[in-house]
This record gives sequence, C-alpha cells and structure tokens, in this order.
Amino acid sequence: MNVGVNTTEPVLSLRGLSHRFVRNDGSEVRALDDVSLDVLPGEFICILGRSGHGKTTLLNAIAGLQPVERGEVHALGRPVRGPGTDRGVIFQRDSVFPWMRVEENVAFGLRVRGLKRRERLGLAREQLARVGLSAVARAWPRELSGGMRARVAIAAVFATDPPILLADEPFGTLDYVTKRQLQAVLRELWHRSGKTVLFVTHDVEEALMLGTRVIVVGNGAIAEDRAVDLPMPRTDDDLASPQGLALRHLLLRHMGLE
Amino acid sequence: MRRDAAARPPLASRWQRRGNAILVGVAGLLLFLFAWQLAARALPASRMASPLTTARDLAVNFVVAPRLRVFGLGRVGYGELLLYTLRNLVVGLAVGGTLGIVIGVASARLRLLRVLVDPIVLVLGTVPVLVAAPLFLLWFGVAPFTQVLLVALYSAVMMVLFSERAAENLDPTYERWATTFGAGLGARLRFVLIPGALPEILGGLRITLASAWGLETFAEILGAPSGIGQAIKALTNLNNAAGLLACVAIVAIAAIATDMLLLALFGRITRWA
Repeated sequence: MNVGVNTTEPVLSLRGLSHRFVRNDGSEVRALDDVSLDVLPGEFICILGRSGHGKTTLLNAIAGLQPVERGEVHALGRPVRGPGTDRGVIFQRDSVFPWMRVEENVAFGLRVRGLKRRERLGLAREQLARVGLSAVARAWPRELSGGMRARVAIAAVFATDPPILLADEPFGTLDYVTKRQLQAVLRELWHRSGKTVLFVTHDVEEALMLGTRVIVVGNGAIAEDRAVDLPMPRTDDDLASPQGLALRHLLLRHMGLE
Repeated sequence: MRRDAAARPPLASRWQRRGNAILVGVAGLLLFLFAWQLAARALPASRMASPLTTARDLAVNFVVAPRLRVFGLGRVGYGELLLYTLRNLVVGLAVGGTLGIVIGVASARLRLLRVLVDPIVLVLGTVPVLVAAPLFLLWFGVAPFTQVLLVALYSAVMMVLFSERAAENLDPTYERWATTFGAGLGARLRFVLIPGALPEILGGLRITLASAWGLETFAEILGAPSGIGQAIKALTNLNNAAGLLACVAIVAIAAIATDMLLLALFGRITRWA
C-alpha cells in the first residue's frame, strides 16, 4: 500500500540538473549529470548511492541550498531559487540548536513565522508527544542522546508542516537499534501526514524498509528508478520475501557490491 | 526517558573542586601580600608602602580624601571617584561592546560589510591609546563623554574581532537549518549566530573588560573632571606611595569584582553549553 500516493501533478519536478565541483588540485567532480525526475504527492523516495556520488548535492539543490550550473527545480509548481518553507530539511549533522530548549527548538520554525509563544509551544508539545519526547520538552539538547536529538529535528520539521520533507542521511550516525526505532517514527509520521519525502541514504536495507520508490544515484546520474511494491508498514519478513530479495540484489548490484 | 548524553559530576564533587579553587586563590593572594611586604621592607617608605599602610590609607580616604581637594576634585573619596570610573566604563563597554558584537557577527556573514569594516577596525586597532587619548581630549574636551567614547571605541574594535571569529567558528549547519525554516538574516542573527557564538563572544568580552579598566583609568589620568585616574595623578604629584597603591588596589579589586560578575552572568546566559 502506498499511503497517500496519487497520480496528480508532481510536487517536485527536476529538469536537467547538472553541477560540477572543482577540487583544490583543479580537477573537476561531476556531482550532478543531467538529472531529471518527477516526484508525486505522498511518495517516500529513498535516494540511494555510495558516498561522493551526488546524493547530497541533489538533495541540497532541491532544498535550495546548492545553486546548480544547469537545470531547474520546481517545487509545487514554483521554481526553486533558495530555501523555502514548503521544503523541510533534516540534516545528517546534528542541527538542533544547543542554546534552545527542546520545545523551543521544535517551535523555532513557528517562531520565524511569527506565531505567538503560547500557540507555538502548544504545537511544539504536540509534535514532541508524537515522537515520544514529551518528558524532555524543557531539557537542553546536550542532555539528550543522539537518537533523541534526531527525534527533536524530526519534530521541528513536522511542526511547520511542510508538504515536502528532505532528509539527508538523518540516521546515518546512529546505532542500529536507534536507527530502526527512528525509521518507525518517521514512517508513522509520514503515514499520518501524507507528506512527500525524499530520503537520502547509503543503506540498502533502510531504503527498502522506508521507500515507496528507490532511486539509485551513481556518478551524479540516476542509475535506477524503481517502485518498491512491498506492503507498508514493512517488516523484515517483507524484505526477505522473493520480491524484496530481488530488489535488494538489484540495488546491491548498482552499489557495486554484487 | 533517560537523559544520558551529558552526565554532570555529582554536586559534592563540584563543590569540592570549587573549594579547591578558592584555596589555591587564597594561597596565591597570601603569596602576593608576602612579596609585597618584603618589597615594602626593602624600599624606603616614600616609594613603597606596606600592605597594611595601604589598607589603612584606603579605609581612611574611601569616603572623603581631604588631600585631593586641592587638585580640584572637590570633597570626594576614593569610593566616589571609583564610581565615576565604573560608570564611564560600564556605559562605554555596553555601547561599544554591543555595537562590536552586532557588527562583528553580521560582517562574518555579509561580505560587503566585512570589506567596509575590516580596514576601519585594522586602522583603529593599531592606533595606540597613547595617541588616541590626547586627540580625544583635544576634540571633545575634559568631559566624561571623552572617556566613554574612548572606551566604547576600543571595546567595539576588540569585540568586532572576537565576534567575527566566533561567528565564523560556529557550525554552518545551524544557519543552514534556520534558512530552511524561512529565517532571513535578521532572524538568523538573533536566533542563531549571536546566541550560538555567545560563549566565544563572552570570552572576548572578559578580555575587553580587563582592557577597558586600563583604558578608562589612563584616559582619566590624561584629563577628566573626576575618576580614580585623577586621584592617581594627584597622588603621584604628592609622592604619596600609600595613596597610589590604595588607588591601584581599589581598581584591581573593582576589576576582579566586575570580571566575577560577568563570569556569573555568562554562566547564567550560556547554561546550555
């Protein structure tokens, strides 16, 4: 079941994105090579690939954080010229502000939008309850574990209710158990909200566990674009099914592991 | 849910560490007083007063110091003169420090502002106080405003440099995250750059405060209607070693007290760190 997926106009549309980086020694890296992609409302797309193959550049270009040499990104029909509140971002690096209490972090986006303190903290507490952090609403981020800070980041983005969520390996540095727990939290939030999610990962299992569609990026280009027709929410048994295993082998081949 | 990331040492251990620090501080002070006493014994009384004589001079002249009246300072004591110095210092530091922090943090992010600010800071920072202070006296006269301006200017220059570096050292991920929530430069300055860079900025502010004491006192010695610097100038003319040392001691005590106050304030503001 692809929750919330329908076949209306794409919420994200990428056309001919190309970008190069120049290394210190003068050599060039082609981070994006003519990438075109349409993303439909409610899709959970996992962008899979090895390190240094352009996944983060692609996500940053969609977020409006990375200008590209050629190509266009349209979000909700409007051209992307920079970051926007229609696209929430969760970074791989710990981005939760250490100088704000947990609830203030979650309410930050609402504060920027000018919501009154009482209103924004009320909404923040609702989000914290959804990610299981009500008990630490008044704590400082340094008092939390890495997994809890990742939950705070998720709650902060969901508090502003952007239609598109961009996540750049948000669980990449977490231990296996915490990662699985957070995958479940994100899946549940996506299931409830029906948001469109682009989730960058280098973990094949994570991509298969979360995605309704997996896109493999290699050398800056889309090497594979495949729908994941497995039940949702998924279990390890689903991934071990013949269909799941076939997909896994396909993705591993693209990753150069088989 | 367990909070496991930043376990703090137990309260007893923290108190023990604080107690040890106080003990070391007291030992250092005793050693300093002992050396001072030795120097007072070795030198003639007209050049060096003992710690006890100095303390007596301080106590006697704290409210009213009659010998300063002939220098046109009126019926004042060291205490009132110190208050004048402190008031100028606080106003100068507050104005200059605030300006310096805002300009420094903003110029770390606005290239145009930086191109404009850096040469000015470089020029002002390299002009010695010995040169700037007489010029200020010439331009603005013997008035409190002259000293306030001097302290504000040098504080601003120092704080621009400290704040620029503090903002540059802040992890850019925080600012990038803020932009994704729609935060413009104003919101990023207010909610991200300044609070995030604050621990490093406050470290710089302590150094600026220490310098400001020297600046203010020196500016008063050159020419001011009041202030502890004027007392130092008068007592130098009188060859009064005990009075001079009393004034130096009172400035040192006030400088240490303001530093401790600032430190306590930092602890409160940056309790998240």
